[in-house]
Amino acid sequence: MASRALAVWEHRKVVGLLVRRDLKVKYQQSILGYAWTMLEPLALTLVYFFVFGVVLNADRDMPAEAMAQGGFLLFLVAGILPWTTFGAILNEAPRAMITHSKLITTMKVPREIFPIATVGTKFVEYLLTWPVLLLFVFFLGGRPSWEGVLLWLPLAVVLQFVIGLGLTLLLSSINVLVRDVERLVRIASRILFYGSAILYPALMVLDSDQVPEWLKTAYQINPLLGIFEMHRAVWFSGFEELTPGPIALTSAVVGSLLVLVIGYWTFRRLEMSVLKEL
Amino acid sequence: MAQTDYGAELGSGPVIEAKGLGVKFAVNRRRKRSLREMFIHGTKRDPNAAGDEFWPLRDVSFEIARGECVGIVGKNGTGKSTLLKLIAGVLLPDEGEVQVRGKVAPLLELRAGFNDNLTGRENVYLVGSLHGMTEKQIDERFDEIIEFAEIQPKFIDTPVRHYSSGMKVRLGFALISQLEHPIMLVDEVLAVGDKAFKRKCYEAIERMLANQRTMVLVSHNEGDLRRFCDRGLYIRDGGLALDTDIEAALAAYNEDTKAEIAKRKKAEAAKKAKKDGTGGKDGGQAA
Repeated sequence: MASRALAVWEHRKVVGLLVRRDLKVKYQQSILGYAWTMLEPLALTLVYFFVFGVVLNADRDMPAEAMAQGGFLLFLVAGILPWTTFGAILNEAPRAMITHSKLITTMKVPREIFPIATVGTKFVEYLLTWPVLLLFVFFLGGRPSWEGVLLWLPLAVVLQFVIGLGLTLLLSSINVLVRDVERLVRIASRILFYGSAILYPALMVLDSDQVPEWLKTAYQINPLLGIFEMHRAVWFSGFEELTPGPIALTSAVVGSLLVLVIGYWTFRRLEMSVLKEL
Repeated sequence: MAQTDYGAELGSGPVIEAKGLGVKFAVNRRRKRSLREMFIHGTKRDPNAAGDEFWPLRDVSFEIARGECVGIVGKNGTGKSTLLKLIAGVLLPDEGEVQVRGKVAPLLELRAGFNDNLTGRENVYLVGSLHGMTEKQIDERFDEIIEFAEIQPKFIDTPVRHYSSGMKVRLGFALISQLEHPIMLVDEVLAVGDKAFKRKCYEAIERMLANQRTMVLVSHNEGDLRRFCDRGLYIRDGGLALDTDIEAALAAYNEDTKAEIAKRKKAEAAKKAKKDGTGGKDGGQAA
């Protein structure tokens, strides 16, 4: 295990090369590459703002003071931008090994570096969403706090990529053997998007009388709920309604680490069969 | 525990050492079960599943010393390429182990790693770096690589997807043959390219061999094998049948092939005789 981690570390240059290659291919296809990748989340944000904010009044649980700090629009953007990255990870995870089959079957490197490179590329793309997010913060009058920037932001980013890497390791290896995984992931990604309270404050579910108690617990066990609440807590840290509760916080930390452990264990377990199938 | 070990040190011992190598493939429906098994039973094997396994290679042991050039001969589908992949470390053995001391230059799939959307130049730097070359080394050899690959300067900055398959393979060979790794694994790549390029490849390989490097070559071309190799491994039915000089290995292989052809002819003749005996009725059924 430790020697394996060392081997991956020794091949960090290869990871860097693969990440740079993917970014190069992605952004050189069109001059407006970066603008295009940002346009989709922006359009989505506006659509969701109209449907959830204006039509369905999903912002009614937002505290009044929070409305002055960027309001529901900043709330949406701060969740949708990291979700774009996470959705992209989920989307590409099943193919992380298959797309590199030629390299994997000719080059002797620790196989983990291919999922790591896929997630690494997404991390860089996530960093590239920040200028857009900061524009929103600036124009909507968002106020970052020390608590948000020093606690919630690093925690959210680390956990998001920990769980992202775990899922990529898990899905990329299983998908080589059972190709149905890709389709399943597409459905799961939809469910998780709506289930992780990206478009509405989680309180709307937790305070609702129509939702049974067991479902509320299950809802909070989803590690993504806590992670995305943290992403928004960066801008709304003072409000108890908008920061993750104890269950959500615990399941975000424990759940993400658990997914990484399970993902890596599965990856190593299936490695021999995966190499034969590629 | 089956494993592949790589050490960087170059001792006096064998460069490649295989002990009881075996690889198992699942046949038909077993694949699904093996997935489930891994989660539920761990590494313990299901005793009922023994009949569904297929061993393309089993119980293969040999040692290859530094500077040797070993040819692997055998029929299609007897595990030659599998053996090469095991040595390259891109396939893990189910049984036994293989130790390789030194870095390996794999001439297995020459286009491997080329990205269609990047230019020839970008691909050379990408794949070269993936195989452990430094940027400086590539800078120094870039012109040589392009010249060897016979790529016209105007094409080097166009995306590789516009290259012909021959151009890609030439570029791949030109690049990988620049690697200074002490071990080379070659899988029938000599069969590609036109005559002039083939000759250049031969010369490049001979130059590399002169440098005390070790080569393992899988090929069906007897000329290639005789030209480069001094030792031959004859693989038959997934096992190592012979480990001698290349002439003896080829002779044994040819003898077995001849015997097989003779057997097939005999069987055909017998079938024909039977058919003739039963008359036209049978022929009508066959059609």
